[in-house]
Amino acid sequence: MTRLVFPIILIAAGLIYLLLTLQIPLSKTGNPHAPQYFPALIGTFLVIISSVYLAQEWKKRKEKLEELKGLLTGRTPYLIGSSLALILVYILLFERIGFLFSTMIFLTSMLFVVNGRYKWKQNMAVGIIFSIMSWYAFAQLLQVSLP
Amino acid sequence: MGVDFQNVLEGLMVSIRPINLLWVLLGGLLGTVVGMLPGLGPATAVAVLIPITFGMDPTSALILMAAIYYGAMYGGSRSSILLNTPGDGSAIAATFDGYPMTQKGQAGQALTISAISSLIGGLCAIAGFILLAKPLASFALRFGPAEYFMLMLFTLSAIVSLSKGNMVKGFISMSIGLILSTVGIDLQTGVYRFTFDIPQLSEGIDFLVVIIGIYAVGEVLFNFINIDSIIPSNNKIGKKWITKDQWKKIKWPVIRSGPLGFIVGVLPGAGGSIASMLGYTTERQLAKRPQTFGKGDPAGLAAPESANNAGSVGAFIPLLTMGVPGSGTTAVILGAVIMLGLRPGPLLFENNPDMVWTMVNSMFIGNIFLVIINILLIGVLVRILNTPPKILYPLILVLAFIGTYTLSYSMIDFYILVIFGLVGLIMKLMDFPIAPLILAVIVGSDMEQNFRKGLVAHDNPFNMLSASSVSIVLTIMTILSVLYPFFIDWIQKRKQKKV
Repeated sequence: MTRLVFPIILIAAGLIYLLLTLQIPLSKTGNPHAPQYFPALIGTFLVIISSVYLAQEWKKRKEKLEELKGLLTGRTPYLIGSSLALILVYILLFERIGFLFSTMIFLTSMLFVVNGRYKWKQNMAVGIIFSIMSWYAFAQLLQVSLP
Repeated sequence: MGVDFQNVLEGLMVSIRPINLLWVLLGGLLGTVVGMLPGLGPATAVAVLIPITFGMDPTSALILMAAIYYGAMYGGSRSSILLNTPGDGSAIAATFDGYPMTQKGQAGQALTISAISSLIGGLCAIAGFILLAKPLASFALRFGPAEYFMLMLFTLSAIVSLSKGNMVKGFISMSIGLILSTVGIDLQTGVYRFTFDIPQLSEGIDFLVVIIGIYAVGEVLFNFINIDSIIPSNNKIGKKWITKDQWKKIKWPVIRSGPLGFIVGVLPGAGGSIASMLGYTTERQLAKRPQTFGKGDPAGLAAPESANNAGSVGAFIPLLTMGVPGSGTTAVILGAVIMLGLRPGPLLFENNPDMVWTMVNSMFIGNIFLVIINILLIGVLVRILNTPPKILYPLILVLAFIGTYTLSYSMIDFYILVIFGLVGLIMKLMDFPIAPLILAVIVGSDMEQNFRKGLVAHDNPFNMLSASSVSIVLTIMTILSVLYPFFIDWIQKRKQKKV
């Protein structure tokens, strides 16, 4: 039955989108409902096509949802979980301590997670050199404003 | 109407300025390197490298972006030939005979055949571009809102119908893209839609953030699944130069596949995947000994490579003349072109002919540069392919964040980036095609505006479908493109029954 979760989520998303479409304020110029037409069309289409998807999955409802299995095998949960946590820390630090230092911390930590702590010399070297190089390339050569 | 020789020549003069030659070389090299990296491919390469065009003047930026694009298309084939892992759909056909050649110790010759075939295909297509672009742009000037709406609908349905076996998922992917395009202030009435009182959403969701999120972050997260089982390639390059016998074998397939690939590339929604497959199957049917195909036949590599590159250049025609991209990668290019402040469409040829023709000429020069790069630097390129993915993927993540930040200097884009990275990961795992979403998010806003203008002009949607002969043709093509997979299925079932 887990196969039905995705189509049901999609149908629910379509219905919520349709409800939100009805709440779009009326336009004060031209046709008051004009801003609702296109979203209403797409929302209806998403609900219909997701129902077809549900019908397709219903036929296979006794089969297991193997597609997401890869997320739970080996080091994958650790790698994806750690990456998301480090990304969150990177976002929080980015403007607070600036691009260069936040990128050095993020990149080196990511390399420790992905490449392994035994290659610490390689991780440190790549983390520091790439951060400085990218800062120089974007901030100095391309004149992009980085914090 | 006709070919604009004066602008073509002026474009040539601008494109051979040293700075522009440098951008062509740099873009081609960077595109090749990133496009060939395992698990990334051309669309990711273009998405990740877009930020380096920031701050440049639009002509140079366009030259650099085009060079990154066709460099990435070249690069995509490198990993097909050497690792049997195509970067995207258009590079799949290169694995059929390219990888067997590598297994036979002919990797160097396979790469040279691929480079030469791509050059000839690319040059055919550039000649076709010069002949066809201006007349097509003039023709597109006659399009009204109803015709544009139908053209975009046809392109979307064509891309969805090519998601073989996944049409329902393709339509869901397209719907999500269209939904995303409706976020923000409505351009015609100024009404806020789906912004949830978040001021940063009033300008809508930047499609480049969606693209970078799905292609770069999503791809990296997806590649984490198999990261420990990736074995670095250890292929011997062997001889670089092709033999006379090989040249004889590839000569006609390359010459035939170039124009074929170009014509397919020009069709909106078709792109390089169909071009290369069609090039391959046509040559196999024409071959005296078709049984050698799939076993390292040089013609089996040359034909799809020529068609693929010709198709990639051909895809620029609908992209620039009508603002309609032909594939996921060209959709990314369209996003980048819009970001430069250019408005792809028939008026681009009227308002910015210098820029367009400079880019086309730079493509001509770039294709020649790429052959030289790809033949002379084969050894270096093969070594780049051996870059450990465990180091590469964190670097791609950093580039994705830099690119996103430089789009609007808004921290909320980082969160959107991560959300779409996760969306990309789930879509890849669940086998949802990504190209329809990307294309829909880019053309969605224009599609809506044309739909509403068409409604005002023609009263109801059904009148829009028959507003003109162009609308009728596009309506029929849309219906046929949706029915096409069912028709193919029906034919295959009938064949099986007969057997």
